[in-house]
Amino acid sequence: MTLDILMSILVAGITTGALYALATVGLSLVWGSMGMLNMAHAAMLTMGGYAAFTVSSALGLPVIAGFAGAIVIGMIGGSLLYMLIVRNLLKNDKSTFESNVMIATVGIGIALENAILMIYGGQPLKQPLSIPGTLMLGPLALPYQNIVIILTVVVLMAFIALLLNRTRMGRAIRATAQNRDAAQLMGVAVNRVYFQVLVLSGGLAGICGVMVSSITQLSPPLGNDPMLKAFIMCVVAGLGNLPGAVAAAFGLALLEAFIQYAAGARWGFPSLLFVVIAVLIWRPSGLFGRAQIRRL
Amino acid sequence: MLQGVIGAGAAGTLLANINSTARAQDTTPIPVGSALPMSGFAAADGIEFKNGLDLAAEEINAAGGILGRPIEIHVEDTKEMGADIVSQAMQRLIDRFSTPVLMNGYNVGTNMIEMDIAADNDVIMMHYNTLISHNEKFKTDPDRYYGCFQGDPPEYWYGPGCLNFLKTLSEGDKWKAPNKKIAIIPSANEYSIVIANAIRDKATEYGFEISLFETVPFPTNQWGPTLAKLRQDPPAAIIVTHFLPQDLAQFMVQFLAQPINSLVYMQYGPSLPAFREIGGEAVNGVIYSTVVGCLPDDFSKPFREAYRAKFGPNSAYITGSQTYDGLWMWAIAAAIAGGPSEPFNKEQTQKVAAALRRNVYRGVNGTYRADPAGQSTYCYPTQVADPSLGMPHQFLQHQDYKTDPKLIAPALYATDSFVLPPWFK
Repeated sequence: MTLDILMSILVAGITTGALYALATVGLSLVWGSMGMLNMAHAAMLTMGGYAAFTVSSALGLPVIAGFAGAIVIGMIGGSLLYMLIVRNLLKNDKSTFESNVMIATVGIGIALENAILMIYGGQPLKQPLSIPGTLMLGPLALPYQNIVIILTVVVLMAFIALLLNRTRMGRAIRATAQNRDAAQLMGVAVNRVYFQVLVLSGGLAGICGVMVSSITQLSPPLGNDPMLKAFIMCVVAGLGNLPGAVAAAFGLALLEAFIQYAAGARWGFPSLLFVVIAVLIWRPSGLFGRAQIRRL
Repeated sequence: MLQGVIGAGAAGTLLANINSTARAQDTTPIPVGSALPMSGFAAADGIEFKNGLDLAAEEINAAGGILGRPIEIHVEDTKEMGADIVSQAMQRLIDRFSTPVLMNGYNVGTNMIEMDIAADNDVIMMHYNTLISHNEKFKTDPDRYYGCFQGDPPEYWYGPGCLNFLKTLSEGDKWKAPNKKIAIIPSANEYSIVIANAIRDKATEYGFEISLFETVPFPTNQWGPTLAKLRQDPPAAIIVTHFLPQDLAQFMVQFLAQPINSLVYMQYGPSLPAFREIGGEAVNGVIYSTVVGCLPDDFSKPFREAYRAKFGPNSAYITGSQTYDGLWMWAIAAAIAGGPSEPFNKEQTQKVAAALRRNVYRGVNGTYRADPAGQSTYCYPTQVADPSLGMPHQFLQHQDYKTDPKLIAPALYATDSFVLPPWFK
């Protein structure tokens, strides 16, 4: 294997890993702090991609406005999800919250996907927020779009880390994740934390939608594949373990890319499933997880 | 009466003449069912299939319908398709509307269950799945599957047709093949695999050798590792038999990051507007072929114009043309047979089927003639040498992504010549 071939596989793996990480963080954040598996995450991701498309193409505004539009729509989606669904489900028996919210968000996800289908149609569309061209470094070729995706995700990861570790809001989120009742007794406004987490997760989903569609295309089921992969990463890392999820996203994406090269493209996804099965057998709490403990 | 008949030419006249001699007492609408992927990954095609049906129905009704009875289109969404969803959708159409015919586009992953639904209910079923398994299933019990027709040639003919095209091209002066290697990239579905296998099995007969046979997931848009293999051992031609336009456009975008001197041939997807819209300039030079699609000739011009006027400038008449021709063919056959029949009326349905077997129909996609051995359409030039008796296997090239692709083979239909792709150094 020559250096340029190795590099092209690495670039493909890291880019995919960055996208997996972005999708995974949004999902893991909500699971870790609220015990909520947000099955509408895929549809929120798709909404973000279409929002950027609408702002940039239909309204003719600059690319940066499209990007901002995706974040805003994602955040609005997250806040509506809290106000219309989650808040009401939390009023019920807390022991059934996790299963109820999962079923409710499955319904929301299906409804959103079909709404997008009705509004935009089923034809795949080009995401205008993509950068053509390739940076040539000797024999190495780095597409600009891949560079943008990797840099965006690195910046976002740093932002999330700072937010969780250095801010009052982050401390409240971590406290709620560790023990909701104790956090509430200590004066943390748990409901506000839930709202903040869903808004943050929605914003991340919006950005992820733009990034994924920039190297694929816009279509109503856009978010389903990243959501599935994100779920795999969450399970492998340990549900709710944020740093572990990011490490799993990059690690498994690289593994997938190398297996696709070495054994054939069709073995990429089965290899991820094999890893999940192995992890569930030998480390049911995930590679980085500890039983009954959720950490952010 | 013929004012509305703009696309079908002689077919419209024929139907109108039959209608003028008929003394229709019954003017109740005839329900026509169609199980189409209106959502999910194949929705782009499903929408066009419905457009084709709508336009044909409008024109047929303007010509007096079938023996005075207008046509009414009923569509059931087959979403992500598969045998379970498609069979249920078809059965619902029959149960709810008593449809004497099911005019489908394509559905994937059905294992040709459509034929069993048609047989069990004694209705006509025409489809564009483009599968050799239709022929194989028909052969197992022709009496049972008498009402099942494939409106285009099976995908098998892509294999020898593609190899013949490459061989002819390499013998000309426009392209000098650097080696005899071919890389084949199918995706994990029956259509792609059958074509890929046909090419692989016949390659040596045409003087080629296979350097890579790489099956990718369906759908797929991350081509990095596959492209790395291609770059490691550049072939003379890359043949991608995966067919979703958005994925193929991404292949080209990612391929052009580090292009190699290989021709790129792709299956079906490049015929759809989404391929050009997503790929942009990156699609220039790509060759594709289709055994069914609207020809860019004068005969189909009124249809193309009517289609885009009705469904917009970016609509894909190349897909809509399939069900458009299918509905016209069936309407004429039903009129000749004396009526469209209804479910469980085997005697009348057999008459319609007999007319569909007997008729040779020149539509906007070329000539339809059913191969009696499998009740699929004959393929020209690899299966039959007479273009008036087979549907042309068209080879097209994207030479400027801003305009429609150019038809470069077969020579009898070609409007333009092959151009060396812009990524060649």
